[in-house]
Amino acid sequence: MVEQNLSIPKYWRRTQQYYRLVATRCAKCGKTYFPPRRVCDCGNDALDPFELPKNGSLVTLTVLRSVSVDFEKQRPLLIGVVDLGGVKLMGQIVDCPSPTALRAGTPMEVVFRRVKEDGEHGIIYYGYKFRPVKGCES
Amino acid sequence: MSASGNPDIRMIYIASALMELTSEQLNAGNVLREYIGLKGVPTMRIENGDGSSSLAILAAVNDVKLKGGCVMVAGVEKPHEVTSTKLNKFVSFSTNSEYEAFFGVTPAAQAAIMAREYMNKYEYSYEDIAVWPLKMHERGAQNPNAYFRKAVKIKDITESELVADPLRLYDVAPYVDGSAAVILCAEPNKRDAVIQVSGAGMGVGSAYFASKQAYDALESVGPATKQALKESGMELEDVRVVNVHDTYSIIGLLSLEAMGLSKQGMAPRLMRDGEFDGGGRVAVNMDGGLKAMGFPIGASGLYQLISSAIQLKGEKPFESLNADTALVHDMVGVDQESIVIALRRGD
Repeated sequence: MVEQNLSIPKYWRRTQQYYRLVATRCAKCGKTYFPPRRVCDCGNDALDPFELPKNGSLVTLTVLRSVSVDFEKQRPLLIGVVDLGGVKLMGQIVDCPSPTALRAGTPMEVVFRRVKEDGEHGIIYYGYKFRPVKGCES
Repeated sequence: MSASGNPDIRMIYIASALMELTSEQLNAGNVLREYIGLKGVPTMRIENGDGSSSLAILAAVNDVKLKGGCVMVAGVEKPHEVTSTKLNKFVSFSTNSEYEAFFGVTPAAQAAIMAREYMNKYEYSYEDIAVWPLKMHERGAQNPNAYFRKAVKIKDITESELVADPLRLYDVAPYVDGSAAVILCAEPNKRDAVIQVSGAGMGVGSAYFASKQAYDALESVGPATKQALKESGMELEDVRVVNVHDTYSIIGLLSLEAMGLSKQGMAPRLMRDGEFDGGGRVAVNMDGGLKAMGFPIGASGLYQLISSAIQLKGEKPFESLNADTALVHDMVGVDQESIVIALRRGD
């Protein structure tokens, strides 16, 4: 039997977010949420889909050496917080084998990458990751 | 059950975070009931990540307040049933899974980011943070119930392998198989008229780590502490014993700051200067904390509750503590929720 970790429908329900970073924005106060929210902090429940900008800046990061089983081949993982137009996201930073030059404020861009595979026969999951705009040495 | 004088138990609350993932067992309370021969006693499973067992305690406290009598709270976790990378994956489910675990984010990565931001802001070196594991191992060496009963040198800590920069192996409480149980009663019984749950509180932070207000402070601990103290009719200054959920060194230190036991940015210094030692201003994690006791995820809150009760009773090796009030802190994920339980020793 093939061991499958994540069902295909579960993944497909999130592709708007994984592929295009679709957040929600409050129609009343303008606050933007990612992950998307159904009700705003202001109490309003009319929120519209809103695609986040694909450029932003690094807030902070860590090099994660003890990883989950799905990421063993990618070990170590660079995990960072990136600010995209005032909304902060956590995710992988890529194309940067030596992160010593990265610091708070380093310009970052969103890239679309393979996240993981579901075993040998399962589907391949894709999603957003981040990379420094001027490369790793900048 | 025998330690509490075998009172009639009318309900079992059982806490576990990863039971179905590691042991392929659901509704384990039923298995437990039959195993310990409590005929006819219903059970309820409570899961809320690594805060599961403190939530079970709160449910049990509310139950006996409402209906009287005695109930059992049990916590159980068996993380060693699976390999370490698989366990990392299961533990990462306690993040906002679709947006964090999906991309490889783990609680360790989140704690590491907090450590990094804290060290940057307050200009600490890694050695300053390493005071936590150093002290916890010292305490563990004195505690016959500890998992690590060996003191370590600062060099052992600073040269241990990196888990997530800047956190090293010694900053991470080791996952252990473990279980614990208490009997809670509405009225003191003849055998244990000593420790009272005098108050409890909860506080919340963010389910998605990146949306936290600040990465160098905990949001969920303060409100939980205030509520527990208020319910208990205590002031922070009255508290003699504190046990915090030190899954990572930085979480232990930041919990003390968020409880109000240290100014922000001062906890490593106060810890180094002995303010949190036995005989100091307040005795913190005198059992060695989760760092030295081990971290049985969904049973960890019960571990620390029971250990606090032992400390209040002045049982071995805590004869010299002479404390009558304690706060026990438990946390769900990295600052998603905190539970603080206040204990008093009766006469």
